[in-house]
Amino acid sequence: MSKKIVQIDYVNEGDSIAMKPSGELVMTNADNYDLKQMPITKDTKSITLDMENVERYDTFMLAFIYRVETMCKEKEIKFEMIGVNTDMQSYLDLLMPKDEAEPEKEEKGSKFVLKVENLGNKIKTNLTDIHGFVEYFGILTTKMLKLFVKPLSMRWEDFPSQMFRSGVMALPITILIVFLIGLITGYQGATQLKRFGADMFIADLIGISITRELSPLMVAILVAGRSGSAFAAEIGSMKVTDEINAMTSMGYDKYEFLVLPRVLAVVLSMPFIVMICNVVGLFGGLIAAISTLDVTVISYINRLEMSLTYGDIASGLIKSLFFGFVIAAIGCYKGLKVEGGADSVGRMTTSSVVASVFMIILSDAIFTFIFQAIGI
Amino acid sequence: MEDDFIIEAQNITVRYGELTVLEDVNFKIRRGEIFVIVGGSGCGKSTLLRQLIGLEVPTEGQILIEGENLSEASQDDSSSIMKKFGILFQSNGLFASMTIGENVKLALDSNTSLDEETADRIIDIKLNSVGLINYKNFYPSEISGGMQKRAALARAMALDPDILFFDEPSSGLDPLTASALDKLIIELNAGLNTTMVIITHDLASILTISHRVLMLDKSVKGVITEGKPEELLNMKENELVYNFFNRIPMEG
Ligand SMILES: Nc1ncnc2c1ncn2[C@@H]1O[C@H](COP(=O)(O)OP(=O)(O)OP(=O)(O)O)[C@@H](O)[C@H]1O
Ligand SMILES: [Mg+2]
Repeated sequence: MSKKIVQIDYVNEGDSIAMKPSGELVMTNADNYDLKQMPITKDTKSITLDMENVERYDTFMLAFIYRVETMCKEKEIKFEMIGVNTDMQSYLDLLMPKDEAEPEKEEKGSKFVLKVENLGNKIKTNLTDIHGFVEYFGILTTKMLKLFVKPLSMRWEDFPSQMFRSGVMALPITILIVFLIGLITGYQGATQLKRFGADMFIADLIGISITRELSPLMVAILVAGRSGSAFAAEIGSMKVTDEINAMTSMGYDKYEFLVLPRVLAVVLSMPFIVMICNVVGLFGGLIAAISTLDVTVISYINRLEMSLTYGDIASGLIKSLFFGFVIAAIGCYKGLKVEGGADSVGRMTTSSVVASVFMIILSDAIFTFIFQAIGI
Repeated sequence: MEDDFIIEAQNITVRYGELTVLEDVNFKIRRGEIFVIVGGSGCGKSTLLRQLIGLEVPTEGQILIEGENLSEASQDDSSSIMKKFGILFQSNGLFASMTIGENVKLALDSNTSLDEETADRIIDIKLNSVGLINYKNFYPSEISGGMQKRAALARAMALDPDILFFDEPSSGLDPLTASALDKLIIELNAGLNTTMVIITHDLASILTISHRVLMLDKSVKGVITEGKPEELLNMKENELVYNFFNRIPMEG
């Protein structure tokens, strides 16, 4: 394919050009029929396209003719085609689009109007989005409250496996991460505290930051990445394959069947994960402390006992309950919002993680204010 | 040109482990004909199609495409043979993340290096020939099932294939839409002389479109008969064929 044979002959006769393509006017040969070589000048008045020497053709021929024709139209040159045999003519008749109908999705109005319209539409979708989420949230909450009155309304068969998947299976990674976070915080704090000779306060630092903030936050972010995204993908694929419709038509409620077991599983497993991670995080801090500071294991634990309040631990656990709810609720919501095909599943899965992490951090900030105000 | 055979299947045997699905199947398809493959569920039609289009290599026997042996061709040769094929899969296989136009474009790009304008025009021509010119910028999920089938057909035809294969084109379509698709198939076959190989269960469509019918059956793991549709319709001597074409359920 290295050498390029131009297979169009051009004959200039005064102000008219005779154009004579030859050979195989087919797609795989397109390079040989480049129109850039056309010797059109300002004076060109007419172009005659002679198809006589075309031996073989496919759809490319139609595109070729069309392009010559449009070029002539643009430059106001007269266009004429000759040498078309009957076979070729019927081929052209069959395939050449009849009416030059402009595509349906035509843009109307000025650029500015269009921009405003787009902006309006975006705001509208976002508002309906919020409306949809609030509605979902409301239904979910009532269904959860209903559980206290009618515990059997939920499908409990799914619950143990969900609990296992989002609770037990999450332990290895969360334990590792929070341990490392404890270790890092310990080292970072140690260098600062050493300067003031306040070695003993390392236990306060680690204890409070791990139990109040770091452990619940890290666990929540990891669970959002594990379980939240899995819920969105699972429920989303079920939506694509009409499983949800099948379920609804059989009279099952998608909330009781799919959403509640998942939300409950995550909400109930979160405090346990956080509790275990608290211990591990404090242990990580301990290692940092005894290896860099003048602190013993006994004194670290004694100091922890003095400084850590039940409020510290409880505030972390309460937050984790709420984070769990946010993660599972958003994951399921995004799954239910899947529309169309596989690409939508992917988009919603991503967006479930982004939205959960955002909501976790935002609500963490709010919790901090609230706890401060009520003095826990 | 009575015996210009574009496809020849010679002694095709297909086994999956212990299971023999097809045994010693022979037939020839003429250039420009509409060739329909029928048979009861599970008799191996889809399996046969996978051999014909080179997705699988038969356990024994060979497939000749315009005289070239597809089964023994090297990777490069077989992929250049496969460029002659357009295939309409049963569940249409349109890429959901691309518009209809982009789907056709992708097929074009697979074997050509056309400039933007030319490619655009060819896409228009293809979509026009299946009546979807106004749906270029729609996503597959935004059009109906029948339109999706036609869009997939436009994509299958992108490179002007010599042979078009269809796996149950009318499945999931209402009778009216299905017969419109049949009409389109006939039109394209007549106008472009494209050979069509069609797997279908749809009796009405077999009788309207086919030039020749190949009937497979599980009992013989292969061909039980071959002929013009009207011949098979009146083939009283073969009970299996007669029952199939006259919708008489089998006992047992
Ligand atoms: N990859 C495979 N491995 C094992 N067995 C297979 C494989 N593909 C097909 N079969 C078997 O071959 C037989 C024929 O299958 P095939 O899909 O070709 O039937 P069909 O004629 O297309 O049926 P239908 O009309 O229902 O689509 C079936 O019994 C199937 O179990
Ligand atoms: Mg099949």
